[in-house]
Amino acid sequence: MTSVYQSKFYTLYQSNTDRYFYIDFGQKVVKLSFCQLLALRQKVNSIAIETHFDADLNKHGFELLMLCNKEHLFLLNTLEILDLKNLVCYGFALLGISSENAKAVY
Amino acid sequence: MKDIARQQMSIKVSSMDLLNNQIKLEAHASATYLAMASWCDQNAYTNSAEFFYAQSAEERDHMMKIFKFIADSGGIAISPTVENINHDFSNLEEVFENALDHEIMVTKSIHKILATARNDQDYVVENFLQWFVQEQLEEEKSLRNILDLFELMGRDGIALKLIDERITRGE
Ligand SMILES: [Fe+2]
Ligand SMILES: [Fe+2]
Repeated sequence: MTSVYQSKFYTLYQSNTDRYFYIDFGQKVVKLSFCQLLALRQKVNSIAIETHFDADLNKHGFELLMLCNKEHLFLLNTLEILDLKNLVCYGFALLGISSENAKAVY
Repeated sequence: MKDIARQQMSIKVSSMDLLNNQIKLEAHASATYLAMASWCDQNAYTNSAEFFYAQSAEERDHMMKIFKFIADSGGIAISPTVENINHDFSNLEEVFENALDHEIMVTKSIHKILATARNDQDYVVENFLQWFVQEQLEEEKSLRNILDLFELMGRDGIALKLIDERITRGE
């Protein structure tokens, strides 16, 4: 496996043998097809982090994240969500299909 | 490292995000035109109603065109939610004026995505959007022509009836 990007809590890997990606979430490693990785990006990006700073909108500051057609379930706090957003943003830039210039990342 | 991501997807994810947003706009336009058709029906402007029913269907076609393009490019197309559809208009001219404003907003959005795609060297997206650039030009023109009728024929009851009679589907 080749490491694509490591954020504070998570690491995104790409397999050298098959066409899969892996994310090490600490407690467990999740195997994702490209489509599933794309779906994860969609879900993570659609989390409105502002709600975490408003007690009326998100009282406890947690997000429920379901991955791979409900195969995996994660309960993440504000810092973890921010870190995951970071992983998604930089990860996709380094995979070369985002408009963010990968060279500017480092 | 094999370029799996690029093998799976032929457009940039940033373009995909913008196109998914455009899907929302087209769906919103479709629903807006349906509301306009409803208003025209209620006020017995039969031809105008038909015009907006046809426009509504066209906007859905635009939406589907983008939807399928994203899917064909290996991306994830998102089914849109539509909210805040205005059903209140004070007169027929206002309906068409709102329609033109809506089209101008859509044109601006298309141009913005195109500029971004060009900047990102996402040429497939740039090429795909050319059709929409032309389409927007035509839609703006047809609404402008209708609005000209109000200048030409006036705004009293009879004039409005005559204007409605002149409006044809897909003019
Ligand atoms: Fe449209
Ligand atoms: Fe349109």
